[in-house]
Amino acid sequence: MADNAPPSAEKLSGAQPTDITPEYDLLPRLIPYLDRHLVFPLLEFSAGEDDKEITRAKYELLKHTNMTDYVANLWKEINNTDSIPDEFVKKREEVLAKLEHYQVQSEKITELLQDEEVVGNLRSDKAANLRFLEEQHGVTNDMVNSLYDYGRFQYSCGSYGNAAELLYQFRVLSTDNDKVASATWGKLASEILTTNWEGAMEEVQKAKDSIETRLFNNPLAQLTNRSWLIHWSLFPFFNHDPARDVLTDLFFSPAYINTIQTSCPWILRYLAAAVITNRGRPHKHHGAYQKQLKDLIRVVRQEGYEYTDPITDFIKALYVDFDFEEAQRKLSEAEEVLRSDFFLVSAADAFVEAARHLISESYCKIHQRIDIK
Amino acid sequence: MSRFFYRGGSDSESSSSDEEEDVYQRSEEEEESDEESSEQSDSGSDDSDDSDDEAIAKGGAAAFLKDDSESEEEEEEEKVTVVKSAKDKRLEGLENTIKLIENAQKINDWSVISTEFDNLNRQIVKITQSGPVPKVYVQAVADLEDFVNESVSKQKAANKKMNASQQKGFNAVKQRIKKNNKDYAAQIDKYRADKDAYMESDEEVEKPLPAAPKPTKVEKIENFAAAAAAAAAEDEEFTTVGRGGKTLQYTPESILKHLRVIVESRGKKNTDRLDQIKTMEKLLAVATSPYQRIRVYLTLISTRFDLTSSSANYMSPEQWKSADKEFGSLLSVLEENRNLIVSEGADEWEDDEKQPSIAEGETFYIPGSIVSYIERLDDELTRSLQQIDPHTAEYIERLSDEQQLYNNIVRAQLYVESQNAGEKNDTRQDSVNRVIIRRLEHVYFKPSQVVSILEDATWKALPEKLDSSVTSRKNASDVTNLIQTLCHYLFQNSDGIIRARSMLCQIYFLALHDQYYRSRDLMLMSHLSENISNFDVSTQILFNRTLVQIGLCAFRAGLIYEAQNTLGDICGSGRQKELLAQGIILQRYSTVSPEQERLERQRQLPFHMHINLELLECIYLTSSMFLEVPLMAQTSSAPEMRRRMISKTFRRMLDYNERQVFTGPPENTRDGVIMSAKFLAAGDWKKAASMLSSIKIWDLMPQPEKVKEMLAAQTQEEGLRTYLFTYAPFYDSLSVSSLADMFELPVKKIAAIISRMISHEELAAALDQVNDAIIFRKGVELSRLQSQIVTLADKSMGLLESNEKTLEQRTQGMANAFQREQGPGARGGRGGRGGGGQGRGGARIPGGQHGRRPGGQQFGGGALGGAIKA
Repeated sequence: MADNAPPSAEKLSGAQPTDITPEYDLLPRLIPYLDRHLVFPLLEFSAGEDDKEITRAKYELLKHTNMTDYVANLWKEINNTDSIPDEFVKKREEVLAKLEHYQVQSEKITELLQDEEVVGNLRSDKAANLRFLEEQHGVTNDMVNSLYDYGRFQYSCGSYGNAAELLYQFRVLSTDNDKVASATWGKLASEILTTNWEGAMEEVQKAKDSIETRLFNNPLAQLTNRSWLIHWSLFPFFNHDPARDVLTDLFFSPAYINTIQTSCPWILRYLAAAVITNRGRPHKHHGAYQKQLKDLIRVVRQEGYEYTDPITDFIKALYVDFDFEEAQRKLSEAEEVLRSDFFLVSAADAFVEAARHLISESYCKIHQRIDIK
Repeated sequence: MSRFFYRGGSDSESSSSDEEEDVYQRSEEEEESDEESSEQSDSGSDDSDDSDDEAIAKGGAAAFLKDDSESEEEEEEEKVTVVKSAKDKRLEGLENTIKLIENAQKINDWSVISTEFDNLNRQIVKITQSGPVPKVYVQAVADLEDFVNESVSKQKAANKKMNASQQKGFNAVKQRIKKNNKDYAAQIDKYRADKDAYMESDEEVEKPLPAAPKPTKVEKIENFAAAAAAAAAEDEEFTTVGRGGKTLQYTPESILKHLRVIVESRGKKNTDRLDQIKTMEKLLAVATSPYQRIRVYLTLISTRFDLTSSSANYMSPEQWKSADKEFGSLLSVLEENRNLIVSEGADEWEDDEKQPSIAEGETFYIPGSIVSYIERLDDELTRSLQQIDPHTAEYIERLSDEQQLYNNIVRAQLYVESQNAGEKNDTRQDSVNRVIIRRLEHVYFKPSQVVSILEDATWKALPEKLDSSVTSRKNASDVTNLIQTLCHYLFQNSDGIIRARSMLCQIYFLALHDQYYRSRDLMLMSHLSENISNFDVSTQILFNRTLVQIGLCAFRAGLIYEAQNTLGDICGSGRQKELLAQGIILQRYSTVSPEQERLERQRQLPFHMHINLELLECIYLTSSMFLEVPLMAQTSSAPEMRRRMISKTFRRMLDYNERQVFTGPPENTRDGVIMSAKFLAAGDWKKAASMLSSIKIWDLMPQPEKVKEMLAAQTQEEGLRTYLFTYAPFYDSLSVSSLADMFELPVKKIAAIISRMISHEELAAALDQVNDAIIFRKGVELSRLQSQIVTLADKSMGLLESNEKTLEQRTQGMANAFQREQGPGARGGRGGRGGGGQGRGGARIPGGQHGRRPGGQQFGGGALGGAIKA
């Protein structure tokens, strides 16, 4: 499930839309860290100018999934025909057959789990649950695993709601840690795609815990897992208001800020945008915002040699060089970038507003008399 | 008396004049040539190489020597008139000693027995070198053992104590005789079985050919049988046999036997290794099969290493070069014969008589270690470089051998790699890692141009068909890539020290090539700074070197703060030399033992790897200056911040300079920096900059002009900051444009610097955009009175705390006890105002440390404190 580097990623980065600020487009950088299905909305968003290319990209992206109907449609669009080649028909049949197969396989256990009585008997101890189910209802480990496979298949077909449900059930029962972790990722993706942000936040928390505990002595895996998590959580970050604070804190926590610095400095754009737009929000205590800002300045400054875009430039101009004219200029650039960014488009106005506040705040702090003209 | 003479005489003769004795002995041998052939010592092989000389000197020399020894003896000792052969003399000495022992046995004089027994053994070593064990000796030791056993039982029965010295001698003999007799067990048994017969046969055996050689010496004698036969043949017809004699002596068949003899004599005293080397060089000429050649090379190289056994010394360049060359040819033999593999864990080929037959496609393992040889070669070169004076031509000459060595390292790498490719296992992987780290350590500290020359020459020197899977031939010119590949290989395949070292090497290389950020990131990611203390000293040294290199790199990039921070650990300690292993500081009252000092010397880096310490110091001081001077200006008005200090070294030097009555023009780098700092502190940035750029040592940096430019820019900026800090109290306002004129900086830049200072609350001021000026706010800085009050408050806080601590101790921290003691406490130290504070403090104190703080803060937090903070 956590197969985050689709083989077509390379090809995709070649097929970029010509953006207003193409050099600041992060899509090619983000794609390797995202799941196939998560990339889709991003591509959808950038569809606008060059439809043909995007459609081709979408086709490449989804070719390996089981969303056969949609892929066939895309194919028709690309080739401008109405006929569907046989392979799609065949694949569709295969998929349906498989669906059937999985359904049958997991029928019993899904039924059981819908039974109120059975569910009522479940405890928090997974091993005990399994034993109970095995003794009382003849549930085997294979059956539990079939839940996982079925969930995975559903996800691949694009029915994310079902997938989330199945994976949830699987996770309750399974004792296989690797699969549970993988199911967590799957569920997170499903929740994101069904825009169930609260569920997604729960999953983010779970995934984070599992990274800390399960991969405790494998720093490299921790690093990659954390960078995935950071990228995935961008979805709730800018779409779900309550998530903002939690995620800002998460990103600023030592382990994650290190991850950002080492493997994906472009996340700084989102972090900067988040911190700046957070300005107007009520804070638990006053110092928190100042501290976030200070941390942000420090990191932006440190990573200046590795990553810059108008947003980090803005921070730098305002807080490192104290060059207000430059900051103004960068702000207008930043606005454009924000408007063409999938995640930040909704936050663009708030960002500009907050950034202007910050400029005047710091300007007034330094100046005694200002020439208003 | 005479026996003493004999013993002494034979001793001195054998040790002092080995050479002479050889020839002497030979002349004896000729008389009874058939017998003597078996008795030739190891040095018998000598015959061959100076056979030509021998042919000439044969008659004359022998006669001459005879005369010589005779006359010598006559001079020394009148008594001896009969000339005896060395062997006879020894035997006689032996017999005398035995007689002494027997006498001593009769009177139970164990101390005499003990000393004589020692003597006996010393003599027997000499004798067995040139012949079989004399029967008399066997008889004597056997009897002695019997006697010892007898005495033990007697002693037990009688329960009588000997006196101290006797007891000591007795114990010594008891212990040694057992050990000693083990070697001769066979003969002793024979002797015990039939004493008379044995002693009689004695005479017979000694005279005729050693047809029935002594069991322990079988091998040796056998080995020399061939040599002796050859020698005999040579003796008879020495006029006709020229080089043919040699080929006769060293036949391909006998090579393994010769090698065995040499290997067995390894580690023993009195073996002439040079001689063995000569033998082996000849063996090499006759070796036919690759197997033989490999075997000879292996033994030959290790014997060359054995020549310099003491660790203090280094291998002579000639020996090193030949070892290096032989190593190269060994590798080429191995490369041609892939089915012969030299590996550490292989079994030894036991049968000297015949060669191992190797079937086609079958691999045959030969015991040995390619990696250890190359490591040893490398170590020896380093050792010699450590000891040669680096300012001589000799050093340069020796250094040029590095190319040769590097060729072989690469070649060895290719060899072990190819082995590892065939069949992977841990030891092979380990050897690949070891060779690669050696290679890395030859290149990591060099600029890429130098490395590419080295690499090119190496690949040219290597046979065309060889290529490496790790570092392929076509990538040889790309040095950065080379280092990267080598390091990556080690990251993936090794662990522990090698891995850490490879990381450090890569970081060092990156820092050397001005990639500050990459090197810094790698350093941080490696987490080495946390656990470097667990590694061995040489890795720690490498770590220090890398750290310093990163610091220098930061300085070149103009990152003064980072440079100062990085270098601070090493340079601030004042032990740079020691930490970088570039020299030993001899402390006057040091408790360093000679052993430690020797180790220390071994760790020293050869001169060509050194980092210029003077440049290092200069850079450290300069970066400290840029940070310290503004800080000092800033803190001069605020006493509570005075304790902050960035570089102690710099402060100390500045203080020292200031204490001097007259300061002349700067004489060295250090003076230059300090002078410049003084100008900077006075706000005269121009003089500071020119002083700084006049320091000559910058020319040693890769791009001196760029560095000087950077320094000038830094001086301007820091000069401005210092100026503002120093003179802010005296101004109400200051025009930005006049500042721009003064510091020759653009107005925008000045505004940016001032803004930063204001924003960071370093400067109590604000910009006036309308008038283009800085307005200083007054009354923010503490007045003298205020600052003294602050100090007073601090001190009374301290007093309060210590008072409470004492109280707590007295009452052992019991809360109610404290309550009772409260009265006297209040009466004692603090009156009036303190009473109020105490009432509150008293209630809180049982709560612990935390409760004390708010009570204390009362001093600073009053009306006055509020005013200060405003």
